[in-house]
Amino acid sequence: MTTETLDKQQTAEQKTVVLNGNEMAATAASQINYHVMGYFPITPSTAIPEEIDLKKAAGEHQIHMIAADGEHGAAGICFGAAAAGGRVINATASNGLLYSIEQLPVQSGTRLPMVLNIANRAVSGPLNIKCDHSDIVYALSAGWIILMGKDPQEVYDLNLMAVRIGEAEGVRLPVIVSFDGFVTSHQKRRSLIFNDVKTVQDFVGEFTPKITVVDPANPVTLGPYMNDDLINNRKQQSMAMDRAREVIPKIFDEYAKISGRQFSMVQAYRMEDAEAALFILNSSTSTAREAVDAMRKEGKKVGVVSASVIRPFPIKEIQEAFKNCKAICIADRQDTYGTGGGAMSMEIKAALKEDPDNKSLVLSRIYGLGGLEFYIEDAMEMLNDALDASTSGKVNVPFEYVGAYEGDESYVPEFAEPPLTVEDVTPNIITTERDPETGEIKVKGAITRELTRMPKRIAPGHGACPGCGIVPSINAVMRGLEGPVVVLFHTGCGMIIGSGYPFSAHRTTYIHNLFQNGAATMAGIVEMYKERQRRGEIPRDQDITFLMVTGDGGNDIGMGPTIGSALRNHNMIFIEYDNEGYMNTGHQLSFSTPLGHATSTSHIGPAQKGKSTQHKDTAQIMAACHIPYVFTGAECNHVDLTKKAAKAQLIAREEGFVYGKLLSACPLNWRSNESKGREIIQAAVDSCFFPLYEIEHGITKITYDPEAKGKRVPVLDWLKQMGKTKHMGKPDYEAELKSFEKEVERRWRRLKAMAENPLL
Amino acid sequence: METETKVLSKTNEFGTYEIRMESIGGQGANLAGKLLAEAGIMEIGLNGVNFASYGSEKKGTPVKSFIRFAESDKEIRLNSPVVEPHLLVIFTTVIAKNVPLLTGVKPGCMVIVNTTETPEAVRDMLKIPGGTTIYTVDAMGIAVQERVRINTTILGAVARAVDFMTRAALEETMRKTFTKKYPKLVEPNIKAFNRGYEEAVKYDVPDDGKYPVQHFQGFKPKLGWKNAPIGGAIVNPGNTVLNDLSASRSGFKPVWNEELCINCGACDSTCPDQCIIFRRDKDDKGKERQFFDHIDYKHCKGCLRCVEVCPKDALTAERE
Repeated sequence: MTTETLDKQQTAEQKTVVLNGNEMAATAASQINYHVMGYFPITPSTAIPEEIDLKKAAGEHQIHMIAADGEHGAAGICFGAAAAGGRVINATASNGLLYSIEQLPVQSGTRLPMVLNIANRAVSGPLNIKCDHSDIVYALSAGWIILMGKDPQEVYDLNLMAVRIGEAEGVRLPVIVSFDGFVTSHQKRRSLIFNDVKTVQDFVGEFTPKITVVDPANPVTLGPYMNDDLINNRKQQSMAMDRAREVIPKIFDEYAKISGRQFSMVQAYRMEDAEAALFILNSSTSTAREAVDAMRKEGKKVGVVSASVIRPFPIKEIQEAFKNCKAICIADRQDTYGTGGGAMSMEIKAALKEDPDNKSLVLSRIYGLGGLEFYIEDAMEMLNDALDASTSGKVNVPFEYVGAYEGDESYVPEFAEPPLTVEDVTPNIITTERDPETGEIKVKGAITRELTRMPKRIAPGHGACPGCGIVPSINAVMRGLEGPVVVLFHTGCGMIIGSGYPFSAHRTTYIHNLFQNGAATMAGIVEMYKERQRRGEIPRDQDITFLMVTGDGGNDIGMGPTIGSALRNHNMIFIEYDNEGYMNTGHQLSFSTPLGHATSTSHIGPAQKGKSTQHKDTAQIMAACHIPYVFTGAECNHVDLTKKAAKAQLIAREEGFVYGKLLSACPLNWRSNESKGREIIQAAVDSCFFPLYEIEHGITKITYDPEAKGKRVPVLDWLKQMGKTKHMGKPDYEAELKSFEKEVERRWRRLKAMAENPLL
Repeated sequence: METETKVLSKTNEFGTYEIRMESIGGQGANLAGKLLAEAGIMEIGLNGVNFASYGSEKKGTPVKSFIRFAESDKEIRLNSPVVEPHLLVIFTTVIAKNVPLLTGVKPGCMVIVNTTETPEAVRDMLKIPGGTTIYTVDAMGIAVQERVRINTTILGAVARAVDFMTRAALEETMRKTFTKKYPKLVEPNIKAFNRGYEEAVKYDVPDDGKYPVQHFQGFKPKLGWKNAPIGGAIVNPGNTVLNDLSASRSGFKPVWNEELCINCGACDSTCPDQCIIFRRDKDDKGKERQFFDHIDYKHCKGCLRCVEVCPKDALTAERE
């Protein structure tokens, strides 16, 4: 964007705000008043649905928010919503984009406009939550228009224009607005927004869908299977991109009239006489311009080129910008591995090849991966490299990673403690025995004092919040597991706290996979282990317990592979710590969040009363898979939990899949006292919200009955201990409380009936 | 001809006045940064940005908040962290052992420290270079008395130290922010803010060259592309024990009374940080059993779960 200020009198009234990129995207969405948002939280884009939800609770707009089961589901919701004829928005990042990517060509191929915000973040693995462009590069061939915003102001502006661009006659394509994760998504800057929602409404206008799937008078078949004809559909898509090339500058001009901010496809900064230049995208553009100014003061003829649109790729504008430049350094915040440059490097080289007069030398650089900070010195280094090439006429280093550090080769990572041996983790405290006649499993030796002898498989020094319930809950399970254990953690708090490179809290072997696929990954591990044992590559008498750990969030998005692994009955223990929300990303609702609970995507306010649906009963879903053993556990009854774990180990070894669900405290997001985690869990158990039971071969047994023990407490006794649910005791929330109590009671009675009847 | 009125008396080569706040998650440095930026932009009329160090934002881990100010008509183009601040604000000195707090602090800089120590003692403790100005404030003490977080008290000291920042601007910004979400917190925070302003102690450090300027080191890990195992594997697991997490505690720690302890192990079962250390020993009858040995304070985050579950009051919460 050029900062040229147009005649103030023509522009609509605007006001100054101090907001970050996510808040600006949410503000734009709210003012546009989309019909539907289908979303799944992922850092660093999560604050977009959070902000939209907050505004919804305050009654500022009517966007219907749909929390999906994962990004793939979110994309499906958006596709359906767009097909039903309304305006649709979504936001994601990183592997969220990758997980939904299969749906992106579906959306563009069926020519259904929508807007998708991407807060650029490095893709896994290893996992990294910070900024680079390795996510957006996967969308380059998805058939979507891609707009790039360098700061919060541009995020707002582009979001408003994206609607018009995608819906334009002859275009009718979905649009991505891409901006740097954290750097832009979380940086608060002075910006301007339109004072009056009407200004925005007038600019975007009414949406008139071409076709909809909800018009009985005009039946339509959307999404046929196509054979050779597909090429014609694709040709139409390509033509739509060409049309977008014409439409976008017009919409930029129109927007400049109301905003005073003139966008362009490509921005050439101090390029008029530049002999060497840098091409760079998004937030780094500003830093690079500062570098150019500093170097110009030294008499160096340098400039920087950036782009607000990369799909359609602005070929002509790129050619024009670089036509007199002797050497160009193209800085990519991603690599297309094995091509000698990132995606922009490849595309710019291709564009320049089409200009027979262009003789520019090109240097390709990869920078800022995984959020590595981009300092002005880095920009200067790249510009100086280009300048060297422009004066010498040759490129010394065509391709390089800027900022990668070789390390200290004399450094030998030391073991802080010797690794746990098989003997260490086999203290023979707990024994399990199966009655040969009844098949009943007896667990002996689960005595709290004696169990302190079991070495902790998770070392201290991990990064959990003070008072976190995950570690004591998992410890209670691990205390019951004698012998070597291999753990797999899904993405989530439990994973993040224990493996911040170059540190790991896991004293036994640990592997992570993204949370839509942990159970499948563990299935692969288990079966390979067994296959290698069968082939004699691993001793047949070696016994490993395979333990996989997820949060309730991981078991929302990963439910498919969980059920798949259960139905295949792999020899593994699957533990879900349920803290009733997506805590790792800042407490968004999960399907396990109970009715009425306040989360960052189910705010309470004049127009909304917390989560609108009842909690997921995952243990019963897993029981319906008819696996050998299902249990629930809680650290308040930790001996019960440890015994169940010991039993689970025997069953996983001898029979197959075990599922265990643990209620786990999260003081930070429950807004409760750090020291009171166990007490709150106890209240949840005693209220019968979270009954402790097991289902072995279909037979239900309640292992702790608060009613029988005379310890049952009203649900509100539990809820009033947490900031996230205090409101449930207020008269305004009587209906929600009643509904929740009724559901808790119904499920408890049903469970008791199951415990009484072996056929249920 | 128009004469430009400059608000900022001091800026760097990029025309910005730069602030870095060093804190741990939960102390409200993020909010302090946001309030300060908003006050500068909305009330003083400056251009400004505010952002934080990002990562996994677990409570108790070190965090930084950055603010850049420029004159209203000046674009702020750098997005990188503040490495040479005009003002450094230290929310807690306990992170000094983990974080190079004084990076980039040169003569002419101001340093605000939340501490009960004197400025002279703080100077020696943190090795603050000469020619700087230190403001100390017992933000924790004030915050405890006023029942607020320490961030607003510290902002009081900021208003006192920074010439272009006014009390009125920050007070107005705090009122706007808190009234919306937490109306009950407005007055206590304003009071703490004013106390921070009044009670901050100023000390002009003599330019004596006693401590050198600590220059920014950048990214130089021991494991780099030449020697790191491929695939991101960590081959020395369990090395988190090297981390000192005592800075995560917020003023209290559990203390063990051997007399009352029955060695039941309940504390061990609830500790999230594996800090309850048992040993194998013989009991009165010569039988090998487990005995409570000590608390590992290096890793204890002070959650006090152990105190809560102890059936015999053998563990109590004590002020550090």
